[in-house]
Amino acid sequence: MRNYYLLPFDFTRVAHHEVLVNEYGDMLVLPQGSVERIVDHRLEYDDVYKDLVANFFISESRVPANLGIYASRLREKKRFLDDFTALHIFVVTLQCNQNCIYCQASSRSEQSAQCTMTFDTMEHAVRLMFRSPAPVLTMEFQGGEPSLHPALIRFGIETAERINETERRELRFVLCTNCVHLTDEMLDICRQHRVMISTSLDGPAFLHNANRGKVDSYERVVAGIERARRVLGADMVAALQTTSVQALDYPAAIVDEYVRLGFRSLFLRALNPYGLASNGQDWAHYTERFIEFYKAAFEHILYLNRQGTPFVEEFAAIVLRKMLTPFSTGFVDLQSPAGIVTSVLVYNYDGYVYASDESRMLAEVGDFTFRLGSVHDRYEDIVYSPKVQHLAQLWANEALAGCSDCALRNFCGADPVRNYSTQRDPYGHRPSSLLCRKNKAIIEYLISLLVERREEVLPIFKRWLQ
Amino acid sequence: MIIEVDRSVYSDACITKCVYALSNDLDCRRTLCGERERIEVSPRVVDLSPAEVQHLFLCTLNDYKAREVIATETHDIRTILYAKAFADCDEFEEMAP
Repeated sequence: MRNYYLLPFDFTRVAHHEVLVNEYGDMLVLPQGSVERIVDHRLEYDDVYKDLVANFFISESRVPANLGIYASRLREKKRFLDDFTALHIFVVTLQCNQNCIYCQASSRSEQSAQCTMTFDTMEHAVRLMFRSPAPVLTMEFQGGEPSLHPALIRFGIETAERINETERRELRFVLCTNCVHLTDEMLDICRQHRVMISTSLDGPAFLHNANRGKVDSYERVVAGIERARRVLGADMVAALQTTSVQALDYPAAIVDEYVRLGFRSLFLRALNPYGLASNGQDWAHYTERFIEFYKAAFEHILYLNRQGTPFVEEFAAIVLRKMLTPFSTGFVDLQSPAGIVTSVLVYNYDGYVYASDESRMLAEVGDFTFRLGSVHDRYEDIVYSPKVQHLAQLWANEALAGCSDCALRNFCGADPVRNYSTQRDPYGHRPSSLLCRKNKAIIEYLISLLVERREEVLPIFKRWLQ
Repeated sequence: MIIEVDRSVYSDACITKCVYALSNDLDCRRTLCGERERIEVSPRVVDLSPAEVQHLFLCTLNDYKAREVIATETHDIRTILYAKAFADCDEFEEMAP
């Protein structure tokens, strides 16, 4: 037996193996019983021992000689914190021309008054955005349906570009639109300012129309997507899917629809418990069904890839990037510290600033817990406010009960807003958290694929990460 | 059912973490009797036999014991690692004699 020192790591069990994950997320899969031998200092000098040393799970000296490399890799995993808030969401209006059964944003009819941002609010919000030190600023226009107000969007973009003449940041623009009302004026703004379109498509016509509460929604959305692609280029249009209860029965059909329409990826997204989507759901039952839906859709995606159709599942790609590369991701829902404030701020139509998209959705049902201030406030008074300081105590999974001892925490994130909305406690209770249940199930499923079907899936996953 | 745990082997923190992790599945009532702790355990919703409850509890407890050993043994190196990763590195370079 060799004399060695333990380095920080955690472990879990997946597919009859022990999965060890070190402090910066490197993973090692070993036979059952390995952890006990490691912890009891009963390792022999064999291949497992060498793997453990090489991958920073144990060390032959009290302070490893290459601790600097170890520290650099840990720092790289938290690189997203260096730039601070990069994503700035502008909720232009709550007015909408659809009637989605799962609407998370509490959208209102096109005729509704007093739910659209003023030009003055837009200007103040843009100025506030530039107080963030981030070298890359993304302005994301959301609603309701923001394309109903092209003049306001143009004003916001042009204000940002004017300020940027002296700020010299990299500006990116995203329009979250259902593509139903993409007018020439709106497309002209997108073309002129290189605005990327993020749209929403739920699958085949029967499913999409049922979700939207309209008979012709699918037809109009697909026509809008094709039009946007012609004007802006195919790479400038991405789509998101939301899994309604009805959609749970059609995993393969949804994937096939995305492939048929020429998309090269799909984000399999569960319903969020906000807005209209929160009404009357058995969330525990939905979560279990969503996990099965996800796996079925994912197996179909793997099948397509094996058949020569390159197609990416985006949620998995984010998790796999954390698992298989030294890099962090910019995905705000799987970050620790959480994406709220550190990565995203929301400027609502009413002139108030919120910690995240989900925070403003809570506000629409009368809960202003995560309202941080107004666009007229000083930037420092918003991001260093007592409210944010309190949130900062709850936003790192390294320091949360149930997360701090979880081997999967490097691949997951903290979400005080979701904890609050589902459990009425921003700290949250992991054993009964359905978000924890869902994320764990999907991450463990991806690990099980890497353990049991490595030769088949690894080449596919590596292509996704290129 | 009652599970008895030797507190000289399993710390309070270790048992607390185990009870927390299982709190969606099991109700646990803890009583300290000298060096031993009596834990009255009953399934909340899932249908588990007493043998399954005991197996689940003890496996989880042993996992937390292993984590505790790792955390204790790596406490200092973890502190150094985080300081080196996130503090202003220049301040942590060794000073010339």
